[in-house]
Amino acid sequence: MSTRDINLTQLLIIYAMLAVPAAILAVFRTGLVRRTLIAIVRMSLQLALVGLYLQYVFDLNNPWLNVAWFLVMVTVASANVVHSANLRTRALLPMVLIGIGLSTSCVLAVFVFAALRPQPFYDARYLIPIGGMILGNCMRGNVISLQRFFSGIRENGKEYMSSLFMGATVTEAVRPWVRRSLTAALSPTVSTMATMGIVSLPGMMTGQILGGSDPVTAVKYQTAIMVAIFVSVAMGAWLNLALCTRVGFNEYGMVRDDIFRS
Amino acid sequence: MIAFDDVTVRASQSVLLKDITFSLDAGEKAVITGPSGSGKSTILLTLMGAHAPARGRVRFDGTEVTAQTVASVRNAVAFIGQEPVLGNRSVRDGLLLPFTFRANRDARPGEERISEILHGLKLPSDILDRSTAVISGGEKQRIAVARALLTGKNTFVADEITSALDETSNQIVLDLFLRPGITVLAVSHQGQWLQRFDKQIRIVNGTVVDVRHNRRGDT
Repeated sequence: MSTRDINLTQLLIIYAMLAVPAAILAVFRTGLVRRTLIAIVRMSLQLALVGLYLQYVFDLNNPWLNVAWFLVMVTVASANVVHSANLRTRALLPMVLIGIGLSTSCVLAVFVFAALRPQPFYDARYLIPIGGMILGNCMRGNVISLQRFFSGIRENGKEYMSSLFMGATVTEAVRPWVRRSLTAALSPTVSTMATMGIVSLPGMMTGQILGGSDPVTAVKYQTAIMVAIFVSVAMGAWLNLALCTRVGFNEYGMVRDDIFRS
Repeated sequence: MIAFDDVTVRASQSVLLKDITFSLDAGEKAVITGPSGSGKSTILLTLMGAHAPARGRVRFDGTEVTAQTVASVRNAVAFIGQEPVLGNRSVRDGLLLPFTFRANRDARPGEERISEILHGLKLPSDILDRSTAVISGGEKQRIAVARALLTGKNTFVADEITSALDETSNQIVLDLFLRPGITVLAVSHQGQWLQRFDKQIRIVNGTVVDVRHNRRGDT
């Protein structure tokens, strides 16, 4: 069984639905129409390019090319995390690269090399999409955690300094914000897992079923990917908070003003 | 004990403190006064290492406060802020917060000592089990003083800590700080504090404009 292709006309029908949100956003003068338009164009172009590129990557199936592609994804995701968390790249990107790179590659390695074991083990058809799903979710969780962490300490400076002045080390003083940031980062995934299959049919499972897999296999993949996502978000958020704490504070333990973009 | 030698503190483009010079001997009590925004709290925060001087130096116990020594200053000084930070759980948790940190873990006080301190501040023992959300501003300030006293330190840095206290509580806190052997650097506008402390340091626009010595027992 193969998936029915979507031709250009069919795709245009789907795009036409965008007129509804565009009208709503325009009526309420949200200022989001232009941004939405740019985002839709970007998404379409990026996906078209990725589609073409992935075709080559899958055909070539070269281990080095696969690893290089994954590293590109990690770099883009890390830069996005720092930028979206309203932080400056120069100060924090190296730490976030290590945090996201380490957490996602460890989880991906266990998922693909230890559990799934495709032949060949570096098969792009497994490595790239699974890596992308883990990375995408890890990225979203880390934006939330880093943003909550630094803005929380900045906004509640008195609470933070109070601990520091009572003799706490930076690691001890930031603990309440680490706790809040981890909770904020992981809560969406926990909620998604709790309602999965009842409230929503997850994207990967739907995709597999549309692609011709039997539902039982699709369910097993979806379960595995959700666990992998949760582990990578938790590991990534914890690692990033630990690493960014090392560079986000000055030698007196005060949060550095120059790490914020505004 | 505490000395500011020609200290200037800057933040971004503005000057917060300019050429601040004063000193305090061990056991001395000094009160900083001045209009709002003149830099009173900044002096206390600079001693605690929240601001690094752009010029001059701050010394505590003969040692310059630097990134390397700031931890020992924080461990030796009990800081009491204007708005007490007690957390959002029970008063007991807020009171014992300093003792959850490694530096103070061995100094965790027993129940008897806690009761003694609370009693001294006219706080009921059952306040410990109440939530910090339901106690009054005055009670919060007294809990913050109790917490500082429980650490057993001899140097107190206090930032307008009696603003929500009634006359009786203010008197109690003042008497506790006036005990011999305790060094106090406080920001206050209360007449009693100004009169009964050894020294008044007046700050205007980030600069010391007057240092006045009181004779103990004047009151």
